Amino acid sequence: MTFRQLVKTVFLTEIFQGMALTLKTFFTHPVTRQYPKEKRPAMPGFRGLHGLVRDQQTGEARCVGCGLCAAICPSQCIHIYTADSLDHKKIVERYEIDVLRCVFCGLCVEACPYAAVVLTEHYEYSDYSREAFYMTKDKLLANWDKYMGWEKNMEYFKKFWHPRTDDLGFPKNQAVFKGSASGKETH
Amino acid sequence: MGESSYNTMLYVGVILLKIIVIFGVVMLHVAYASYFERKVIGRMQVRLGPMVVGPYGLLQPIADGLKLFFKEDIIPADADKPVFYIAPIISLFAALSSLAVIPLFNGFVIANINVGLLFILAMSSLSSYGIIMAGWASNSKYSFLGGLRSSAQVISYEIALGLSLVGVMILAGSLNLTDIVRAQEKYPFGMFLIPQIIGCTIFVISGIAETNRAPFDLPEAESELVAGYFVEYSGMRFALFFVAEYMAMIIIAAVGIICFLGGWNGPFVIPYMPFAWFFVKLWVLLFIYYWVRATLPRYRYDHLMNLGWKVLIPLALTNIVITAIIKVLI
Repeated sequence: MTFRQLVKTVFLTEIFQGMALTLKTFFTHPVTRQYPKEKRPAMPGFRGLHGLVRDQQTGEARCVGCGLCAAICPSQCIHIYTADSLDHKKIVERYEIDVLRCVFCGLCVEACPYAAVVLTEHYEYSDYSREAFYMTKDKLLANWDKYMGWEKNMEYFKKFWHPRTDDLGFPKNQAVFKGSASGKETH
Repeated sequence: MGESSYNTMLYVGVILLKIIVIFGVVMLHVAYASYFERKVIGRMQVRLGPMVVGPYGLLQPIADGLKLFFKEDIIPADADKPVFYIAPIISLFAALSSLAVIPLFNGFVIANINVGLLFILAMSSLSSYGIIMAGWASNSKYSFLGGLRSSAQVISYEIALGLSLVGVMILAGSLNLTDIVRAQEKYPFGMFLIPQIIGCTIFVISGIAETNRAPFDLPEAESELVAGYFVEYSGMRFALFFVAEYMAMIIIAAVGIICFLGGWNGPFVIPYMPFAWFFVKLWVLLFIYYWVRATLPRYRYDHLMNLGWKVLIPLALTNIVITAIIKVLI
């Protein structure tokens, strides 16, 4: 042991160096974010709770029940039940997402040809029962009203969801069954 | 009623009053020492510490106390029940009874006995019985290991602790704590700190070890023994150990203040608050406890024993010899 080392050991130099360091951090500002009080805004493009887009004209869900989202969903958590209405229009009877099974990949959003299903920014949902996370059509529409809205939806749509077209209506050159009572079809 | 029995009643009344005052003050200090610890360590780790209960988390110790008080008291089926019941009480009793001889300011002491320092050392070694009994009675391997480590550690460091105080005894010529404080008045800064710097260093190190605090917290090493000797304790019985531990810390700090830092004397007199300097020094020492805890990792067991037996005890003996020679020469 050299003299230098001996002095270091006897006077506990390294311990005092460490103590100086902790004292220095004692006077720095804590980095803690006090979560329920100070909420952190979600990053743009954050994929949170699901929602069904409410159409501006009809006030109903834009979903037509094509089932593409359910088909692409890797965790198979989307369940769609369609039915015939009295005037032979295809109606979406039930549109349900089991949120507890969802992996938030966002493929349903990309697959949807009518941009009818979205992932909102909302991430603070917790409950005591599993039933609360089984989203029915009404709950999904309400989610969209509450956490997304039309303006934000458009912004999200353009920025993050790789749209094939800006026109969210029915494609012009696609055959669409309008379902008139007379059975006349338009092309 | 005669004159003498009236005087006796007055005497007993004054002592009871002092006991109530000291007990209340110390319990409050125990509560807020835990809050202070969490805040200090939090800030040193760039966290905030308790913030939720009350403004800046100031009511946290009270919430903790209430929670522990109302929690279920679980006793392991295989525990040695009578010993299990007695152990925390012994720990707390030993810590509480040491308070009796500590002078908060000139003349304010419950029992001004001539062997005050010896009494405190005796009580602090008695408190390790509580720990050993708890470790044994819990009938759990973690508790048992914690108890064993604690007994080995306390025995080793008690010697260094006692020897480090011998220098003070030589200089003061007394074991009475009030006399020790008064003897310091003619030394630099009104403290034994400068003439007894070696003794003070040994006292601080072995005091931390004696109270089982980091970096010598092997008896309750969370990462290896879960919580050490009180793993199986819950609710109020756990709270008793907790209070005893913090009280032991406060007592060791108080002994340090009385023996090395000049007790209630300070650089100037604060009017109407003769106890102010004592508490200022107490909180500074508690801060140093937490500061050390936030800085240093836990010692390895053989290093701990080496430090105690091969470094601190010979150093303390040397200190005694040097102090004695100087005392004779001057």
